[in-house]
Amino acid sequence: MENKKKIIEIEHVSKIYQMGSEKVFALRDVSLEIFANEYVAIMGPSGSGKSTLMNIVGCLDTPTGGKYDFEGEAVSEMNDNQLADIRNRKIGFVFQTFNLLARSSALRNVELPMVYSNVARHLRLEYAETALTSVGLADRMTHKPNELSGGQRQRVAIARALVNNPSIILADEPTGNLDTKTGEEIMQLFYELWKKGNTIILVTHEPDIAKHAKRVISMRDGLIEKDFINETQFIPQ
Amino acid sequence: MMISNLVESFRLAMEALTHNKMRSLLASLGVVIGISTVILMGWLLSGLNSVVNDTFNSIGVDMLYVDKWQWAGGMSWDDMRKRKDLTEGQVRDFMEYRTSAEEIIPQLNNWGGSLTAKGEKYSGLPFVGTTANFAITSSGTIDDGRFFSEQEERVGSKVIIMGSKSFETVFPKHDGIGKIVTLNGKKFEVIGVLKKQGTFLFDMLDNRCYLPLKAYKNLYGSLGSYTIAVKAGSEEKMDQVRDEIRGNMRSARNLKPGAIDDFSINESKAFSSSIDSIRSVVGIVGYGITFLSFFVGIIGIMNIMFVTVTERTREIGIRKAVGAKRISILFQFLFESATLCLVGALLSFVFCQILVYAASQILPKYIEALSFLKPYLPINLLLIATVVSIVVGVIAGLLPAIRASKLDPVDALRYE
Repeated sequence: MENKKKIIEIEHVSKIYQMGSEKVFALRDVSLEIFANEYVAIMGPSGSGKSTLMNIVGCLDTPTGGKYDFEGEAVSEMNDNQLADIRNRKIGFVFQTFNLLARSSALRNVELPMVYSNVARHLRLEYAETALTSVGLADRMTHKPNELSGGQRQRVAIARALVNNPSIILADEPTGNLDTKTGEEIMQLFYELWKKGNTIILVTHEPDIAKHAKRVISMRDGLIEKDFINETQFIPQ
Repeated sequence: MMISNLVESFRLAMEALTHNKMRSLLASLGVVIGISTVILMGWLLSGLNSVVNDTFNSIGVDMLYVDKWQWAGGMSWDDMRKRKDLTEGQVRDFMEYRTSAEEIIPQLNNWGGSLTAKGEKYSGLPFVGTTANFAITSSGTIDDGRFFSEQEERVGSKVIIMGSKSFETVFPKHDGIGKIVTLNGKKFEVIGVLKKQGTFLFDMLDNRCYLPLKAYKNLYGSLGSYTIAVKAGSEEKMDQVRDEIRGNMRSARNLKPGAIDDFSINESKAFSSSIDSIRSVVGIVGYGITFLSFFVGIIGIMNIMFVTVTERTREIGIRKAVGAKRISILFQFLFESATLCLVGALLSFVFCQILVYAASQILPKYIEALSFLKPYLPINLLLIATVVSIVVGVIAGLLPAIRASKLDPVDALRYE
């Protein structure tokens, strides 16, 4: 693993929220490295700091202290626009609640990241169609989210996450709003994506989901409790 | 790249607005009213302006008219009525004095004459007896046929030149040249038609028919007050000529030094003050309404944009998560509110055009003075209104758009 490209390097990162007069230490002191083509699950109960860590890893938020480099770029020093740029080019998000634009078709939703990276319209369409086809939605491109099932919606979200060829795919409880069977299908899709060379970071509190990952980081009270290789990685059929 | 962003922003704005058609429509109502006032006011003022120009042109910018009557404002009708007529003798004297004016053209007017043609009698027509040099004034411009000659004037030939409107009334087929009409039982030959002048409010210049002065006197007698048209020759000579003819007329009227003038010298400029006062009333009222409706319009749009931003907090979060920068979000909402106003402007164009067309077709039938109203909106007005609507949209959308652009992506994504 050491000879692989280092994507994420987090050193002594902390995040403190000011809640009224009280300071809340969401992250105390977290150090972490993630390399290309890893399949990592960040686990922990609610309040453990895993969401905060995900927001920081996903460049949605900046740490209060410590250092965060993304492929050698110092994220912890960045302003809003630079963060937006990193998210746009390097990170694909998959959310528990799908977070699709309700009024837009699947195709338009998948186009969205490319709108903000100024890809020409005909190319956007082409790439979006390819991405939707790769998640098995070739025949659902013009459907709006409310015309799609939960699993299909999450596939649209995954297509959107993939379309800009990101360095990491960051999935926050991706099966949380899905039934077990559909959830398994989504997890299978992630497995395939990982096999194709993508780097995947799962954030979950469910051991059943975390077991799909090759590496598990478990959080508690704003600290990394355990960081280990999952020897019994679950391989979906 | 910038262009594709603009197109994209416009598409987004249209999507958002058509999604909630009724709300967009109601929100833009204030703007519709504002833009409509601007357009209608501009239309009215441009109509007034063209009337003023027509009037100036038909009166002639280098013309002075010595008359018992003051044509435009400033004097009571009763005071003018008490003045003595400008008599033939005074006119003769006046014309003999030295002046640097180019032409002096005496006129006698009969405001309510009648004319018979093809057995049909037309009453209430104004007749003017004048000299052949009237043809050089702009009101004497011939459209068809010819003006009478000095020879015809000298002998008092029974010829008549008709105004465009009276000609149209009497000869709807425009076949009147060379025809015989009867005035007070005397036969006159129609030898010419004047060019259309345009009407200044109640003065129906286009009805006037012109006869050689001598023929006029044979017909109606030489009583009545003369009007003397004086062509200065150029606008620069106006002041000089005005002073000269004032002195000349005072001598002709035997006024003592120190006595006030018992006649008026009229010129096109005199009308501009009365037009200006109409214009400023229309302007003040119009601008007041416009300002108010735009104010209300802006508040309305701003309010609806704040609501929109709140409703779409999650959407903003999603857009930011996938890489939208602040400026993209800012533009998205500015575009939306500008588009909203632009749609409002387009609606008011349609509304105003219908209104204006109807007004120009119907109103002049009842009030002739309003015949200056044009049936179409001037294009420059529409361009101005378009720009104004976009500016209004940007102003109204600015605060909501800034709020949207500053939303924190983590909070926005969590928003229910």
